[in-house]
Amino acid sequence: MVREISDRFKEKFPSIEPKEIPYEQRGYHLFIEAEKNNIVDIAGFFRNEGFYLADLCCVDYVDYLELVYFFNNHNKLCRIKVTVKTDPDKPSAPTISHIYNMAHWYEREIHEFFGVFFEGHPFMVYLFLHDGIDHYPLRKKNVPVPEWDRQILNSFRPEEQEDGFFLNLGPQHPSTHGVLRVVVKMNGEYMLSAEPVLGYLHRMHEKMAENRTYQQFLPNAARMDYLGALNFNLGYVATVEKLCGIEAPERAQYIRTITCELNRISSHLLWFGAFVADLGGLTPFLYTFDDRENILDILEATAGSRLTYSYFRFGGLYNDLDENFVDAVKQFITRLRSRFSMYENLVTGNVIFINRVKNIGVMDKGYPIRYGCSGPVIRSTGIPFDIRRHEPYAVYDRIDFRIPTGTTGDNMDRYLVRIQEMEISLDIIEKALKDLPAGPYKAEKIPKKLKPPKGDIYHTIESPRGELGVYIVSDESDVPYRMRWRVPSYSNLMTFPELARGSLIADAIATLGSYDLVIPEIDR
Amino acid sequence: MCDLAAIINIIGKETARLILGLIGVLIVVVVNALVLTWVERKVSGHMQKRIGPKEVGPYGLIQPFADGLKLLGKELLTPANVDKPLYYLAPVIVFIPVLVSFIVIPFDGFLQVKDINVGILVILAFSSLSVLSILIAGWGSNNKYSLIGATRSVAQNIAYEIPLLLSLLPVAFMANSLSLRDIVEVQRQGWFVWRWQFFAFLIYFIAATAETNRTPFDLPEAESELVAGFHTEYSGMRFALFFLAEYTNIFIASAIATTFFLGGYLGPVLPGIVWFFIKTYFLVFVIMWFRWTFPRVRFDQLLNFSWKILIPVAFANLILTGGILKL
Repeated sequence: MVREISDRFKEKFPSIEPKEIPYEQRGYHLFIEAEKNNIVDIAGFFRNEGFYLADLCCVDYVDYLELVYFFNNHNKLCRIKVTVKTDPDKPSAPTISHIYNMAHWYEREIHEFFGVFFEGHPFMVYLFLHDGIDHYPLRKKNVPVPEWDRQILNSFRPEEQEDGFFLNLGPQHPSTHGVLRVVVKMNGEYMLSAEPVLGYLHRMHEKMAENRTYQQFLPNAARMDYLGALNFNLGYVATVEKLCGIEAPERAQYIRTITCELNRISSHLLWFGAFVADLGGLTPFLYTFDDRENILDILEATAGSRLTYSYFRFGGLYNDLDENFVDAVKQFITRLRSRFSMYENLVTGNVIFINRVKNIGVMDKGYPIRYGCSGPVIRSTGIPFDIRRHEPYAVYDRIDFRIPTGTTGDNMDRYLVRIQEMEISLDIIEKALKDLPAGPYKAEKIPKKLKPPKGDIYHTIESPRGELGVYIVSDESDVPYRMRWRVPSYSNLMTFPELARGSLIADAIATLGSYDLVIPEIDR
Repeated sequence: MCDLAAIINIIGKETARLILGLIGVLIVVVVNALVLTWVERKVSGHMQKRIGPKEVGPYGLIQPFADGLKLLGKELLTPANVDKPLYYLAPVIVFIPVLVSFIVIPFDGFLQVKDINVGILVILAFSSLSVLSILIAGWGSNNKYSLIGATRSVAQNIAYEIPLLLSLLPVAFMANSLSLRDIVEVQRQGWFVWRWQFFAFLIYFIAATAETNRTPFDLPEAESELVAGFHTEYSGMRFALFFLAEYTNIFIASAIATTFFLGGYLGPVLPGIVWFFIKTYFLVFVIMWFRWTFPRVRFDQLLNFSWKILIPVAFANLILTGGILKL
């Protein structure tokens, strides 16, 4: 696959030589150094080849700014890194947002954090930061924001018009699950357009990472996604381990898999309750919390915390499993299995529920490539894309599991996919428990101060919401030079304006609920 | 005591009865709302594997009083830019139709403020008025969520008023009277819900759930969509008045169902008033049961359900009943 793409690329762009990179070390197969004037053509080439844009970020090397594009394929693993260098004094690049809709927000993000201006971008407005920033936060040197650039932000003020009215859905609204704000243009009960406004929970984790050592950043990972904290924890730890060449022992890998799956179930359970609550049924919310409580208790006994775990450490775990862990998990598996039929009776088979979710918010198969959405959202469209299978980490390559897919990509499919995923997670836990080896839970001789070798690395895992990517650039010091988080909810939410256009407000709320958004993760 | 007798002599027996009745009705309304808040919290608690209130008084029985005191002590916030006269008026007039409906309901053979020979019409006419206060509240609040909630409420009430009326008429046909007491007395031969009017009962109950804005038809205050709908901007006692009115509406809807279909105060052994309240509160419980079980329907589905299913079925039922009676 890599060789084929490389050959076809050379055919199309004879002047550029794609370099093959050892995947085990770097997390990507091909490295292409592009120029400003051909990046649009290159993006178009990958779009035609069926690749999606996994990530787009920027790194400030002081002498130059480097835009990093990551492409990947849904069917066969082939990660490609494309870089474009730009002048730090007047940084600019052509937009690729007309090729990949996903680049739309990513370019806005880079614009506000680095000051890179994307030529041809239709809506170059700040995404996270609001009025009053005076310098670009992620630049290594203090670069003030020029006056003309601040004007852009202020121009985004919706005005009342004759043919409809604007409604601020959030930031305080019962069904935005946190502090998402959607500026909606309404015509009666219908939504004419919807524009999410982010940044109400923005904490700049990426900047924090540049100011603390690798160990000190550990708790931050859990704070990004409080529902899938262990998965984010694993995403960070595994990336740094790969970067430093540390190998966690077998037992630790198994325990990581088991606890991550428990965490996935707890996240899905909470989503289940919240989704039905969005549709007006309040009782299932309490039922799922009851089930979820079991998981929290089990994990608390082992990891020490209930929500924002920092259980995984470089080279292993914080401590070994609690002595009751295995029994408690087995008990929980039996309990939850018996509860699914109740949920089926209460919710899945309910006529009102079916009418509210069936054929609402339909995504065709083009969405995942254009928006780079992942997790249950992409699986609902019928593409069996799961990082656990696509790019196995921990011990997922040793465990056989089914990937549930939908057919139409509507809210019902997203709902059913997640319900099935919970059942499959239970199976995975059961299998992993059976094979759980004895032995150390922690690698020996892990240095107190990690100083990874020079270079960059891209590593992904499957968080409960989808593809979580961590990109770290190391400069041989004990502090990351640049850390970039590709979070799943972000690209999932991007599809919302397109899905919500022209729909009833009640349907749009249902669609918003079906994404399983976690706003702190989006805002970072 | 003799003063009272003198007063009654002066103002006339009928007027005195009305005044006393209204005082009684007010007491029933308040006590009922207190009881229902407690019941709702307990019912929802037990349905959701919780206990509900239990700290204030035995079984949390004093909780509604504590809530009421808290609401009384709260500041009455008036947001800027509201339409002040309308904003103040809405919570007051939400009560008028509710109180009037109580007058004609027979709680027992002798316990009825006034038996009017067009009792059904009084109830139907005044229950449609409650939508007016919702509309005023939504418009006066000058809030987009409130306004959407109010418009939804109007459309919903118009749509469900018709099946409501159509489901009560066959009963009036069969009783050959519009007086509520006569309708109850006719049921000594058997409750109407078992005497060919089962579908009418179902239609009435669904429509009544929609009229009282309860889940699955609680669109005017749909929490996940419209925050709190028409009463988003109300706080303190003004909010409490809407709350009171909602519970009183539920009670009235159930009381009418009891009177028309479940034999009203009729029943063996126990006194009539006890039977009346048992039946009514059972229906109230069912409405609460709906709320804590079902998700919410969508707005267009709600209207379609009324216009395309409930109204044709209710019409068919009405014509059938009329035809059979004529034969």
